Amino acid sequence: MSATAAIPVRERAGAARRDPRALVLIGVTVATILLVGLVDHGFMSLQNLRFMVLNCVVLSLLALGQTLVIATRGIDLSVAPVLGLSAMVTGLMAQTGGLPLLGAFGLALAIGVILGTLNGLLVAKLAIPPIITTLGTYSLYSGLIFLYSDGTQVTSVPAAYAALGNGTVLGIVPIPVLVLGAVLAAIWFVIGHSRFGRAILAIGNNQAASYNAGIPVTATQVGAYAVCGVLAALAGLMFVSYTGSATVTTGTGDHMELQSIAVALIGGTAISGGRGPVIGSVLGALFLSVVLTALVFVHVPPIWYSAGEGLMILIAVTAGSRRTA
Amino acid sequence: MPESVAHEAGSGVYRARGITKNYGPVAVLRGIDVTLEPGCVHTMMGENGAGKSTLFKVMAGLVRPNGGTLAIDGDAVSFAAPHEAHARGIYLVPQEPALMPELTVAETMFVGQLPTTTGLVKRIDWRAMRSRARAALDTLSLDIDVGALSRSLSIAQQQQIECAKALLRGCRVILFDEPTSPLTTHEVEHLFATMRHLRDEGYTLAFISHRMDEVLEISDHVSVLRDGMLVDSVARPQFDRTRLLSRMVGREMRTIPRRSWSCATDQPALVVKGLAHGSRFADVGFTLHRGEILGLAGLVGAGRTEIAETIFGLRARDSGSVTLAGEDISTLQTHAIIERGLVYAPEDRARHGAVLPMTIAQNVTSGLISRVRSRLGLMDHADEDRIGAETVRRYRVRCAGTDQTLRELSGGNQQKVVFGKWMGLSPSVAILDEPTRGVDVGAKDEIYALIEELAREGMAILVISSEMEELVRLCDRILSVYEGRIVAELSGEAITPERVGRSYLGHAEAQDGVEVAA
Repeated sequence: MSATAAIPVRERAGAARRDPRALVLIGVTVATILLVGLVDHGFMSLQNLRFMVLNCVVLSLLALGQTLVIATRGIDLSVAPVLGLSAMVTGLMAQTGGLPLLGAFGLALAIGVILGTLNGLLVAKLAIPPIITTLGTYSLYSGLIFLYSDGTQVTSVPAAYAALGNGTVLGIVPIPVLVLGAVLAAIWFVIGHSRFGRAILAIGNNQAASYNAGIPVTATQVGAYAVCGVLAALAGLMFVSYTGSATVTTGTGDHMELQSIAVALIGGTAISGGRGPVIGSVLGALFLSVVLTALVFVHVPPIWYSAGEGLMILIAVTAGSRRTA
Repeated sequence: MPESVAHEAGSGVYRARGITKNYGPVAVLRGIDVTLEPGCVHTMMGENGAGKSTLFKVMAGLVRPNGGTLAIDGDAVSFAAPHEAHARGIYLVPQEPALMPELTVAETMFVGQLPTTTGLVKRIDWRAMRSRARAALDTLSLDIDVGALSRSLSIAQQQQIECAKALLRGCRVILFDEPTSPLTTHEVEHLFATMRHLRDEGYTLAFISHRMDEVLEISDHVSVLRDGMLVDSVARPQFDRTRLLSRMVGREMRTIPRRSWSCATDQPALVVKGLAHGSRFADVGFTLHRGEILGLAGLVGAGRTEIAETIFGLRARDSGSVTLAGEDISTLQTHAIIERGLVYAPEDRARHGAVLPMTIAQNVTSGLISRVRSRLGLMDHADEDRIGAETVRRYRVRCAGTDQTLRELSGGNQQKVVFGKWMGLSPSVAILDEPTRGVDVGAKDEIYALIEELAREGMAILVISSEMEELVRLCDRILSVYEGRIVAELSGEAITPERVGRSYLGHAEAQDGVEVAA
């Protein structure tokens, strides 16, 4: 067969090997840092670099979950209110009830599993299109934040939380970055080397064929939404620990659901499903964090931030989809 | 999930008894008995809609039968899903292979049963997966890189991957659903080489094809299906081309009434010359006259719809010209073509023709909004109703009123409304693609009468149909399309079901008796 001869032989199946996007993203991010750094040396300072990395942790956690869901050919708009609810519940209970940090992790886990599983069941069992399902649960979960907070908000968190959000190990590595690193490693293993993760990709590639091949389609879909919920809830706990505050618009106010989708796409996740390079999603979040900070450093007026962010997302996603088309 | 679902290979005799399948009131399979033997290629032949694909889907667990039994090596089996059939050693290579475009060839082959390492953390054993995939491809002498992305494969390669998947799953019975239609001659030879290899290894193979030459070449046994029934089953020594063909067409004893009159003129209305597009169709040329009903006969996938869509400006063409009433329209856009008097009623009514949630009046006027009277830029709904009512009367649409939605009407009445919509534009040429699809038998006659009436009024009509009876009954002249080319032209007395059937089933038949168009 002459056609096969043209296909280059590859020794191993690795996302980065096949998709140069991760390298391109790293290149563009570094170039942005160097360029803006030339204009203002403060941009390249260790302190600012550390800030930009810390700043992308919460969004990265959301984007990792979003990546799994989009890889099944779904979408989860409800990650922002899940983040908000988790931040509000754990933050308020810590602030007023003295909830220990370990308890907060358990609580966030429970919130994430329950809300994520509900999304997954609606999508997989009732066959409601994911965008409609999660548009509905977006409002539902947002409403829960209002009901639970009842007019109050989180203004401070106990020291243990603050340490989780702002502490470092050995004075160098920020704890949130360690948390993100651990989660990234876990998700990378799941999507790259577990049957569950490969089933997610198979369903996103071809759902009917996956069913025919005996993949448990429903369970896999529910699982993807549940993991996404857990990561969003964890992001909420990290947020409230980092900032020491949570209001009824935490998450939703910044449209973090849209940001999480955007950075996943920038990172190389296919909106049509079947492809989810998780490292790309984190690199996408880092890229967005750098760009947003750069806007401040080059003295773009604040009223332009939102438009500038949108423009960067459009450029990045368009450039990416061209290359893989 | 087991590491490998390979069953202890039995001999691989797969027996189906009394298989029936209905879709609603439509019986697709009416009691099929068939036995597939190991070391044998068993071919199913039959016209479009004879039930071949459905039979294979039942046998492979994709479709549940309404009645009948399946037995593999004497054990009764029934399947809720295809992977259950795989576990019993039965694999269907679908017409459109189930591709996982973003995954590697190796992973696509193992989908649903990826090998994992043993130990505390079970992770995918990529190394084992690749080497086993490589081994399966080597068995079939396939030179395909297991690390390449699936989306880089040609259709022929995708089919070969499906064969390899069957081997990986330890399947002994492999069903091929019309695999050759998208393949080139060279690729067909390669596929046949693979099939022969498997047959000689004692696999049980079944195959669907329309192409007589292919069938005679590869088969050890041929069964003919017609209208959901098995009408013939012969072993290789008894193969007889003429007998198989007449069994497929099956109407050699029946005569279809042809109308005695014709109002075809010799004034050209639509002239198509040398129309070609890529591998879909080539060198298509014909002249359609005023008052003439011209039929395009052929198998599904022969390229007839593509030809019509190209004439109508919906598809790009590589070369050729289309002339409507003396004017070259081949470079015009569809809306300009409609304005010049050519309309096309596509086969998929629900998708392209009728708007089901809208009323009869709205549907009728949707093609001619500019002709509805308006006041101060607002549509006059009374005029819309008037036009709707006219259509209902003229085309004898059975309904409670013009404000009924199309969804509430039967298929036949929906089709009449769609006709009314197009004919409201008073076209000079109409292309009707499967005009009676989904229309019940009684309403068909009414639609035929309508088409004949339009021809009498001088309209030139091109009918694309997969129903022999429809073509024989309606057409003044018939062109047979085979793999994108017009291979025969029949007119007058020559239009008999048998000759039409032979003409579009392949070149080979064109030689014995049917004229080949110049």
